[in-house]
Order: sequence, then C-alpha cells, then structure tokens
Amino acid sequence: MHGVIIMATVKINGKEITVQDNTLILDAARDAGFEIPTFCYQADLMGIGSCRMCLVEIEGQKKLQPSCITPVLHGMSINTETPTVISARASMLEFLLANHALDCPVCDKGGECELQDMVYKYGPHKGRHAEKKFKFQEKDYALSPVIIKNSNRCVQCQKCVRVCAEVVGANVLGALGRGDHQEETSFFRHFLDCDQDGNCIEVCPVGCFMRLPYRYRTRPWDLKGADTVCPYCGTGCRMVIEHRDGVLIRSKAQLGVGLNSETLCARGRFGCDFASSTERLKTPLIRRGGSLEPASWEEALGYIKEHIPVNIGNKMGGIASPRLTNEELYLFQKLLRDIFGSPNLDSTARWEPEATEGFIKATGMDEGGVSVFDCMESDSVLVIGSHLSDENPVTDYIVRRIKNTRRMSLIIASPREMKLDSSATIKLRHSPGREAAVLDAIALAVNAGKPSPAEGAALKDAKIEDLIASAGVTKGAVEQIAQRLLAANSIAIIAGMEFLRHPEGIPELGLLKEALKSSGKKVLVMPALDRANQRGAWEMGVHPAFGPGYGPVKDKGLGCAGMLEAANRGDLDMMYIAGADVAAMHPDEEFTRKALLKLKLLVVQDIFLSETAKLAHVVLPGSSFAEKEGTFTNQEGRAQIIRKLLPPPGKAKRDLDVIRAVGEVYDPSFGPKMPVLVLDEIRNAAGMYAHVSLAFNNKRNTENKLDNRHALVQGSATSALSVTRFSAATTEPEGRFHLTTGNHLFHSGRFSRRSGTLLGLLSAAVVEISEKDAASLNLKSGDKVKVKGRHYEAILSLKTKKGSKEGVAFIAENYDDVPVNRFFKKGEPAPRVDITKVTY
Amino acid sequence: MGDGFKIFELVKKVLFTDFVKGLSITLGYNVSRSITHRYPDEEKWIPYRRFRGLHTLNKDEHGRELCVACELCSKACPTQCITVIPMEDDTGRGIADRVAKVWKVDLVRCLFCGYCEDACPTRAVRLGREYELACIDSRCNVRQREELLHPQPTPEAFEGGVVARATFIRKKRSIKVKADLMNTKKRSI
Repeated sequence: MHGVIIMATVKINGKEITVQDNTLILDAARDAGFEIPTFCYQADLMGIGSCRMCLVEIEGQKKLQPSCITPVLHGMSINTETPTVISARASMLEFLLANHALDCPVCDKGGECELQDMVYKYGPHKGRHAEKKFKFQEKDYALSPVIIKNSNRCVQCQKCVRVCAEVVGANVLGALGRGDHQEETSFFRHFLDCDQDGNCIEVCPVGCFMRLPYRYRTRPWDLKGADTVCPYCGTGCRMVIEHRDGVLIRSKAQLGVGLNSETLCARGRFGCDFASSTERLKTPLIRRGGSLEPASWEEALGYIKEHIPVNIGNKMGGIASPRLTNEELYLFQKLLRDIFGSPNLDSTARWEPEATEGFIKATGMDEGGVSVFDCMESDSVLVIGSHLSDENPVTDYIVRRIKNTRRMSLIIASPREMKLDSSATIKLRHSPGREAAVLDAIALAVNAGKPSPAEGAALKDAKIEDLIASAGVTKGAVEQIAQRLLAANSIAIIAGMEFLRHPEGIPELGLLKEALKSSGKKVLVMPALDRANQRGAWEMGVHPAFGPGYGPVKDKGLGCAGMLEAANRGDLDMMYIAGADVAAMHPDEEFTRKALLKLKLLVVQDIFLSETAKLAHVVLPGSSFAEKEGTFTNQEGRAQIIRKLLPPPGKAKRDLDVIRAVGEVYDPSFGPKMPVLVLDEIRNAAGMYAHVSLAFNNKRNTENKLDNRHALVQGSATSALSVTRFSAATTEPEGRFHLTTGNHLFHSGRFSRRSGTLLGLLSAAVVEISEKDAASLNLKSGDKVKVKGRHYEAILSLKTKKGSKEGVAFIAENYDDVPVNRFFKKGEPAPRVDITKVTY
Repeated sequence: MGDGFKIFELVKKVLFTDFVKGLSITLGYNVSRSITHRYPDEEKWIPYRRFRGLHTLNKDEHGRELCVACELCSKACPTQCITVIPMEDDTGRGIADRVAKVWKVDLVRCLFCGYCEDACPTRAVRLGREYELACIDSRCNVRQREELLHPQPTPEAFEGGVVARATFIRKKRSIKVKADLMNTKKRSI
C-alpha cells in the first residue's frame, strides 16, 4: 500500500496532464476540465460501463472506449470531442429514446432529468425509429410504500441496483431480462420489504424510480430549497429540504455534498413532512381550570413570571432536547444557570448523567472531533454497542462502502443481527447489556490473558472464561477478534448508545482504548449517537456536571432522573422542558407522570402537544428544524449549519426567541438575539468551538468524501470529566426473553411519529426475536403475539431475524401505542418477558 | 393667377358647390350600409380562429381532460398568471393518471400572449375566442379549471371573422351577449 505512487502522463484533447496511474480516463478528463456525459458512472459505485455515453477516442485504438472503466496508460492520447465521439453520443441517446416513454409532461422527474439534459445538449433532436415503442407495463406500479416504478423510462444504467447492493447493502434490486428489455426492479416486481431509504430514487437519472409521497405534487422548478442538516440521528447528513406554497414537500441529498453524498435513510428522505403537520402547535397554551387553553405570548410569559421567582435555584430544573441547535442549547443552559441560578440541567430523559459523562470521557469526545472517514482509514474497525444499521443508517452506508473498497477488517459486536453483518469480517453475538464483558474479554485476549498496565487493577482478578460465559460468546470468536486487533496498526472503535443503556461497559471501553494505545497502536473512538445534536447538547453544557466545552461548573446539579425524584419528593417545584418528551421517553412511565404532576409549574416548549406537554401548565410553541437557523454538531464533532426554509406556523416562534423571551422577562439584556451572535459567544465560552469553520457548507467535492477536518471541533482544554463505575445490571429471573430497546430504522424518538410517511412505512408496533426462538415457540414473522412482562403486557406483531442472539426480544422505543418504557420499573432489574401467540 | 380663376371661385361660392359635396358624403353615408356593429344589442363580432381570448382547457374525443398538469404553461407564462397544482387520478378523468387539481388563470395579469398554448405538450390549453371578460366582481377575474373545461360558445371548427346576430341578456349579476352562429354575415371593412 505504501509503495511509490506511479504517475502517468497522458494527452487529453491535446492538453498534456499528469495523473496517478490507474486513474480512470473519465476522472482524468474531468480534472483537466473536459466534460464527458455519463449515466451509469458514479464515483462511489463500481464501474460497469453500460450506458456508453462516456465513449472517447484513444489514438491507436480502432474502437471508441468507455472512459468510465478504462484507466489511463502512460503516453495515451485521448480525444473527447472528435466528430466520431460526438456522433456516437448522439446515436446512443437515439437508441435510449427508441423505447423511452417520452412522457416528460407526466413524469415527476421532468425538469431535473439527466436524460432530458443530455438529449438537449448532445442528442439528436429527431429520432429515426418508427417502430412501436416497447413497453414494460402500461401503469406505474408501487414497489414499496414510498417507491413507485415506471420501467418504460429506464436507461439501464443499473445505478439503483448497485447503490442498493454496494452502499445500502439491502440487495433487493436486480435486473430482470436482458438487453433493452432489461428491467431494474425487485425480485419479480414483488412489493419490497427493505430499508425504504429511497437511495434508488435519488441515483436514478430518469423518472424510473419515483417517490410516492412526492408523486404528482409539484414540479422541481416550483420548489424553493434550503441546504440543511437532517434532524434525526447523529450522523449529520446534509440534505436539501424543499417547499411549495409553505408545505415541506421533499428532502433530498446532493451528490458530492456532505459526508452522506447522495445517500439518506428513510427517516431523512421521507420523514421531514412532520414540519408541515397540521398537529403543530401554533399558539401558546395556558392551563386554565384543568385544560390547556390558547393564550397570547404576553399572557404565557406573564404566567411564567408570576410563578417562577428569579434566582429560584435548586427548586428549578431544565431539560432540553438534543434536537435543538447549539445556539438554543447554549442559551438554555445560560438561562437556567445564570437567570434561575439552577444547576439542574439535562439533555436527555433516557440516561443517567454519570453515564453520559463517563461515555463522553471514554469515547474521547472532549479530545475533539473524529471523522468517520478517518475511522474508516484504520486497519481494523470495531463496532460495538450500536445497532448501526438501524440507529445510524448512513454511517452504516459509509462503513460498508469503504469496507468493500479496501483491505481492512470490520468487527461487529451486537446482540441483534444487523444489515452491516454481511460486510463484517467477524461478527460477535453477545448477550444484551454485556458490552463490558465483551470488551474485557477482548482486552484480556489481546494481552494473552494478562491485563495490560492500563487495565491492571480493573481486570486483575478477571478470568477470560468467566467473561466469555457472562457475555455469551465463544472463546474462538474473541481470540479471532484479538488477533485482528493485534495485527492492525490503527484501530477505530465505533461505540453506540448501548453503552448508555448499560453504563457498566463505559469504563471498559476507556480501558480497551488505553490498552490498545499502550501497545503502540493508533486508536480512534467515534461515538454513534441517535439524536441530531446530542453531542452539541453536551458540548453546550446542557448537563448537570459540566458547562460549555465540558468545562467545570461551580456546583453539580441533578440529571433528569434526579430531577424527577426530587419532584416526587417535593424538593423541586418547577421544570422547563424544551423539546424533550420526558413522559414518553423516561424509563418507568408511571413514576414520571406522577412526578411531573407534582410540579407547581411545568413549562413545556415543543412543536407538538407531546405526552409531556399534555401535563404542562404553560406550553410554548417552538419551531422545527426547517424554521430556524443555527448549528448542529454531529456524532463526529462536525458543526454544520441548518438553514431556515419556512416561517414558524401561526404564533409559534423560533426556539431561540422563545428561550430569549423567557430570559428577557427577568433580564432585559438576556441574549444575544441572533444565532450568529450566540455562536460567537459559544466560540468564546467553549474553546472547542473557537476554530470551528462553517465555511465548508455548500462545498462540493468530486471524490465523494468530506475531508474537512477544520469543521471538526477541537479538544477541550478545560475538560473535567470523570468516569463512574456502574455495578453490573441484573435481570429479572423469570421470562424467556431479555427485553432490549432502541431506535427503529424508520423512527427516531417520538417525534418521527408525527411524519405521515414514516407512519405509513410501519404503523403497527413490532417485537423482534431470533428465528431460532421463533421456531421453538412455533411462531413465524407477522404473527400477532402477546409480550408479557412483570409490569406491562402488550400485543405486537412479530418479526424474526436470522442471526440474532437467542433469548433477546427487541421493542423499539418509538411506538406510542406500545410504550416500551412501561415494561421498565425504576430501580428494578432489567425486565424479562414471555412471548406467546395470540389466538383469536 | 388670372381673372378666370377668380370668376370660377365666385361661381363655386354662389352655387354652394363645396357645401353640396360635403353634404353628399354625409347623405351618402346616410343611405349606405352601416359598418358599425350593433353590439351588444343585435350583433356580435365572432373573431377568427387566430384570435387569443379567454383560455380554454380541452378534452379529447373520449371526453378525457387533455391537461396533464405538467405546469409548463405556468412556467412559460411571462406574467405568472397561471397556477397549476397536479394530483394523481387514475379513474380516467385525464389522458394520463396525472391531472390538474387546480388550474387557474388570473385574467387581470394575463396579457394573452399565447405562450401557454405554445408550451402545452398536449394541446390542452388554447386561447379561445371569448373576449367578454368584464364582470362586476373582481373575484371572477380568476378563472378556475372547472369553468375553463366547459366548451366555449364558439366551437373550434367555426371559421370566424363574421358578425353574428346576437341577443343581449341582462341579468342581476351579469350581462351576456349570446351570438347565433347560424345567422352570420361577412362584413367588409
């Protein structure tokens, strides 16, 4: 790999250029500034040279050669604009149009169609084919709830098939037939049960794959767009959201822009319609006589002023959603700490603040950003504690794409089967919540059974056999992993949200990192987060134990769980919850509701009337990501701009203005007013952000990798974090299945439930178990089953997965009809459940 | 300039020659055929086919709407007076499963340039021969699809360029001049 780079000098249209040997003629020509049209070529897909649009003339060769699969050779002389080439292009287009439906006025792609552009530019403007056009089918057919297909427009470029197999890894599309009767579709045109991410739609140069929700709603030239960042998971995909007449109609990715390039997942591509939902809150609400009544902003703010005294201190608590922008989060913690004098702050209802603090330390978030592309440069990548394919689908695409193009090993440790397994060198199925044992076992195996100095005390008495038994894995697999890690010079660990659900693994993560580092390896750790601005929320100091930039705070406050307990005891009177749906997301729903109802004042700022908002005294309508400006920091630590597309609905305000308005009630100088000015203040307050450059936004790159390291946050100089050891969690003795939870592929938290399209993808709640378990219980996928825990039982439909660990049941945390948090009880061991078939 | 000319002028004055000449023109018009259209009471001008009046949305021979809501007319429109919102309908309402949910034109903005006709790939939109667009309520300046889909009183096949007998109908909310296309006459100008 580290040999001398051989250069080749070639002549393109008489211009002499020197490029790296093995460069494709197409890339070389494009670099030299010559345009070559293509349909089937895409930088990150395998070249197949099928569309023949990129034919060029190479001197000395009789036939024209496809430039997208022909590498340059030293001394080659290439012509891209000779009459032969030009007429070949025109003829190619004539052939493509021979059977093309030419129903541009009806086609949704009309106006942004590559075939239209190409024919306009290179094409023959009349065809000589008088025969009747061949038709695949008369009517468009739906391939999935979001994809509709018209094969008559196909140009057989097979980009859809390749993106599905190579990037998404779903492998559900293929080519039926041969020649001009080849049709790229699902297996015999069956209805797809795939990731529904619509990447096939995005790469399709013509109107062959189309979005069903977008179908016949508008024309591309009617849309006004804003380049922004996806509000769902922590991957931080760049996308363009577009509206017509104030209704958010679609979101799309752009080739070569952002770390995701042209890919998005189902949530990002189809889930943004929540912004135009009719259920949005449009006016402030005040509880009057038991019910929430519409009120004016003056009344709502007056109500708050009347009830919350300034400097209320410990009696007040604040929870802000990790979907707010950095600017809003910063102002929120400033409001709580400076105006109300309260240290009680949290950004999540799901985890203990000690766990998040430890996780930040263990994954080295305070040491600055780590790019996912840097991680994928490593010799070995370990994915642990994350169901990457469901929680961060686009990170999964990046990992798969790069894994398939270079020699490296990918190790996946997870209790459940996931799509990325097919790319894994080694996959390890461990018992749920046993990441700690897995990591310890790996660490011991790496050091041949003896703990390294870094892990000395912690692992002194540990025996690899015990750890393996507790993790439910085989010794062979662990040793194989250790071998791979030992053979690697550089290692990247992608650590996910399971560490926060089962925090006893956090110190072990830190230990393995140190152990590998001490044996002279380069180690990178990247957290895989499931909320768009979770990292930003921590870095803005929305946490009880640290301030902006992970700096120390005067006195540590309570986290979400602590606040609820204090409220239940009567020690906490007031809460300001911005965006978070605590009642729905906090484990142990009953207790949460009880605690929230005991509050003297609950102020909720949200865009929908969430479960928490229904309990509030004052509800302030905020804005969705499409209605404000600001920055999100993704899981890598990359700060990216989100842009405003629409005005907030009705009397709703930007969240920044809402927080500022509350602050101004007490201190008229509370501010700053503009997001940009807040960012300036953040740069001063948090050193990590001092050098963050947002200039890379809108920058295109042809290489399809975002190499903007200057966009990553720096290390924190003032970091004062500590890792807490958690005692190992216990599980209930009864019940066949260990119940686990997380995000569903089509949902993220509760707010994706407001998207009509995503609801259509998966309306009923699903419980997922392994195929083996299902077989032994005589159940099959699709059956209605009863899931019975100690505190709650529910009827769900069953989904089986082939390679999952046995004895694990998974229910996503997103369904409002089956709130999985009802299975959990505060202070009790992890629940186990039984699954039985429902017979009617 | 001789005396003869002076005498001639004098004779003309005595005999009122110029007066008679002028009067003969006036009297001539009095007895000749009138070129004034007795519009709106008795007659109405039916323009030629090339005339560009109120928009009409056409249907094909099976009664299906030709408009596929491709929005090219609204794109081509220099005054942005056409609004099209498409929708899906495969009940056979249109020639394709894409039909217009909304197709409206703001006649106050429209300059009747005919670009929309030119842009239309299915010949759905044509500028018809209706030119009586005045009304007493400004809302009627925006004409909706439903209204435009009704065939105009002058069929496409009718040659035009004639004056038709007409009746003037006055109602409370509107006035209308109804032409009788069977009773027309060419009028030379």
